Amino acid sequence: MQLELEGKQFGPREVLGRISLSVAKGERLAILGPSGIGKSTLLRILAGLDPKFRGRLDAGDRLALVFQEPVLLPWRDALANITLPTGCDRLTALDWLGQVGLAGHENKFPRQLSLGQQRRLALARAFAAGPDILLADEPFASLDPETRERMLALTDALLTRTGAGLVLVTHDPDEAAALKARTLRLQGNPAVLQND
Amino acid sequence: MTDSGKPRSAVQPGVLSVLAMLAVWTVASQLTERPQTLPAPWQVLDRIGHLMATGELWFNAGMTLMRVGASFALAMAVGLAIGLLMGRSRTVDDWLNPGLIIFLNVPALVVIVLCYIWIGLNETAAIFAVALNKIPVVAVMIREGARALRPDLDEMARAFRMSTISRLRHVVLPQLAPQIAASARAGISLIWKIVLVVEFLGRSNGVGFKIHLLFSSFDVTGVLAWALAFVGVMLAIDLFVLRPWERRANRWRQDAA
Repeated sequence: MQLELEGKQFGPREVLGRISLSVAKGERLAILGPSGIGKSTLLRILAGLDPKFRGRLDAGDRLALVFQEPVLLPWRDALANITLPTGCDRLTALDWLGQVGLAGHENKFPRQLSLGQQRRLALARAFAAGPDILLADEPFASLDPETRERMLALTDALLTRTGAGLVLVTHDPDEAAALKARTLRLQGNPAVLQND
Repeated sequence: MTDSGKPRSAVQPGVLSVLAMLAVWTVASQLTERPQTLPAPWQVLDRIGHLMATGELWFNAGMTLMRVGASFALAMAVGLAIGLLMGRSRTVDDWLNPGLIIFLNVPALVVIVLCYIWIGLNETAAIFAVALNKIPVVAVMIREGARALRPDLDEMARAFRMSTISRLRHVVLPQLAPQIAASARAGISLIWKIVLVVEFLGRSNGVGFKIHLLFSSFDVTGVLAWALAFVGVMLAIDLFVLRPWERRANRWRQDAA
């Protein structure tokens, strides 16, 4: 995946400046920076969710997204929350539920799961899409320390097992370290990437 | 939600109020000087029994139900599509809104008469006229829901590249379920009343046609018999079709048992 960004504006405000970024399968990258600097905007551009920017995006790879919130379909059970968005079959979905420790919860609706479980379900959904590169937007924010620890370990293990690459957006360098990711810092106005 | 465990308290006043209405009807029917203008409840019941026995009720109620079903399906489908488009696109909303307001305010009778004149005195015109009366109401209700669709779910669906059909079915329509249920509930009761008018004016069977005949001969017992029998049919549909569907669609809202 390669991005040659010349600039990104919201109205008259120039949010992101010239950014050149490339990530390959298996590579792990963390983008650090304070909140409001444009990290999420950059990730949305990478994910192809925001086509309104100046520059070029080459995204031949399969991508999957983990959002800040779990963003599940509340009216579908855990299993359908994996099969419907990703298009994978039942057995694959059940396997992923097991891998994130949600075996036996497949018929529960998101409301019946704890926040930690919902996040693991969102993680299972992302991996079930079989991504070359996983894009994650502050997926560990607002979790209690213990749950966060477990989520980080789980994500690390699943990334290693599948060989998927990672672009993590976070304000916390510890998360990058826990996931053994190379770090870049987003700063300035308009923001650009710098080696950490 | 919490009082679902004791439906008794809700049923009893309901039963009592129906009994009270029957009592008022009985007393009034006995006080009136001309019994044919207000027959007693048992006379009406007797007539309903007769209509059931001869099979006349089933045939005509069936024809009316067919028209209700067809125009309901047409109105819901078209109203849903228009409402969704208007809720999602500002431009479409700006263009269609004046037409919507006009159609909301055209009297049902005018639409029916014009449809019969322009399309002809046939089934198509009847069903079309009823649906036309209902479409704007559905569209307005769905539009409100479509404006409040969750952007995060939309984004998730796009990020996972869900197909349009799958997105509509699993992401958009479930969010509109409350508006769909409300417009269906309001729609079915509005539609069957308009269907009776359509039958009254230009059909040769159905409950509305029967009431037309009985009106010509001032047969109040007959009119009441047909009306009550059909109200019964519509209540049964609400109770045994619409409500169970709504409960099923709302299953996910319930907390863990």
